[in-house]
Amino acid sequence: MLSSTKVVKRLVSFVSLIYLLSAISCSSAYELVKAERIEYPVNVSIAVDSAVLKTYLPYKAGLDSQMNRVIGHSALAMSKKSSDTLPESLLSNFFADATLVQARKMDTAIDFAMPSTKGGIRVDLPKGPITVSNIFELMPFENELVVCTIKGTEAQRLLEFIAASKGQPVAGLRMKIKDKKPVDVVINGKAFDISRNYRVLTSDYVSNGGDNTLGFKDPVEKKVLGLKVRDALLNEVKDKQAEGKTITAQLDGRITY
Amino acid sequence: MEELLIKRRNFIKTGGLAAAALAINPFEAMAAGDVVKLTILHTNDVHSRVEPFPMDGSRNQGLGGVARRAALIKRIRAEEQNVLLLDAGDIFQGTPYFNLYGGEVEMKLMTAMGYDAATMGNHDFDNGLEGFHKQLPHANFPIICSNYDFSNTLLKGATQPYKIFKKQGLKIGVFGVGIELKGLVEENNYGDTVYLNPVLKANEIAALLKKDLDCDLVICLSHLGYKYASAKVSDQVLAAQTSNIDLIIGGHTHTFMDVPEDVKNLSGGITTINQVGFAGINLGRVDYYFEKYKGKRAKAGAPYLINDLEA
Repeated sequence: MLSSTKVVKRLVSFVSLIYLLSAISCSSAYELVKAERIEYPVNVSIAVDSAVLKTYLPYKAGLDSQMNRVIGHSALAMSKKSSDTLPESLLSNFFADATLVQARKMDTAIDFAMPSTKGGIRVDLPKGPITVSNIFELMPFENELVVCTIKGTEAQRLLEFIAASKGQPVAGLRMKIKDKKPVDVVINGKAFDISRNYRVLTSDYVSNGGDNTLGFKDPVEKKVLGLKVRDALLNEVKDKQAEGKTITAQLDGRITY
Repeated sequence: MEELLIKRRNFIKTGGLAAAALAINPFEAMAAGDVVKLTILHTNDVHSRVEPFPMDGSRNQGLGGVARRAALIKRIRAEEQNVLLLDAGDIFQGTPYFNLYGGEVEMKLMTAMGYDAATMGNHDFDNGLEGFHKQLPHANFPIICSNYDFSNTLLKGATQPYKIFKKQGLKIGVFGVGIELKGLVEENNYGDTVYLNPVLKANEIAALLKKDLDCDLVICLSHLGYKYASAKVSDQVLAAQTSNIDLIIGGHTHTFMDVPEDVKNLSGGITTINQVGFAGINLGRVDYYFEKYKGKRAKAGAPYLINDLEA
């Protein structure tokens, strides 16, 4: 047998056959009488199938030559789980800050950034060496960075979306969430003003309502920067390395509840 | 966990587990040729995880890997006569294998492992309908989608609404439901695909499979997601609002379930939901034992014996 088949729950009950014979239908020659369920962890305890390994090795060789290059170093591990569950996390702050820093090199008049939704941040970023592959796995999508100029009323809807969804990756923005609503919103150092327009850095995916994001309907202007979100992240890691620094992030209370 | 146990006991109580009377010793019965065993193996949200997660200190380091999964599947196939290997979608996206090769590697590996069928997840649209279509020649297994109408797209005729597998006299009907694409997938990437109500479609197809086409078991591959705080349609909603589905193999929410959940369906029978996390970290298995019925059989949906085992 494959496993020790330790039975955790065995539920047996006997009922008269008469009950069975009284419930009548006859569409099939077989009747389901029992189910057994089990789950196998796929880990180091299982020897690999060499035929399957050979199927992907040529692809792996091509991939490794491009992807295993170390482009920088991280001062700390940043977890996806905390970015899924907390209003701000090291990983969401790094993600948002890095894209904003890189985008501001191309457009200096960005007010704030929400470059992705929480769902768009895909894996942990480890402490130590960072490879091209780490960034591809963090941001596998081909999304382009865009700067949307939106009316204050639409910005309000975006802030409400961020609050209702218990925080999203943001930079240049501070807010508190009270009763699922945004309060004490500060953008780029100034209190939020619904009467003015805001220039928001995001992705084409998010600006098209991806993950049901609100606030980007009918923007006054939508400018495509010509820089993918992933490339902004790659550039940030490379820039820090060139400066002799590690990448890092802080929890600074930008979103609290 | 506690909730699951209670729920299961309720089934036994309310249903009376008539079937157990016939399943006193399935192994003896199998030897006599009266019991047929079917083994369902399943994955979901593998997300291009070809190699195990890298050993870099992150949460899932060292877990998963297609070469190990293939070895495990091979071992089970050597032990069992009737195996179906199924996937609930999001085959694509998540590692550079997809970015560089567009899904070719994933499809070739699933073919090598002998997958019998898969449905489409939202990320399988990430390179557009064209990007998915381009990889189909590498997939030697059907893509089953019941609530996406691709009639006005490139994928017309490339997927099937359901498929019936025959194993040692058993008929197993498999169909697939996908999540609403609007708001989740870029419009350019799904084009003129029409999303149809998954509950209505599931009821229609499950009835067709069970009643009209005499399937002994009906399996739904679902990329709807296990459950939501909102009223959004999920596997739990699907299970409770349909009849004739025996097993929902779920995905999308990357849920690691302690044990499968058994839901009382619309006609009072059991619909089981199972989902095994993501990235091929686990392989799910459900074995069903069927007894050849001599004379009249119990009505479909009668309770049966359920054991959850530990690997």
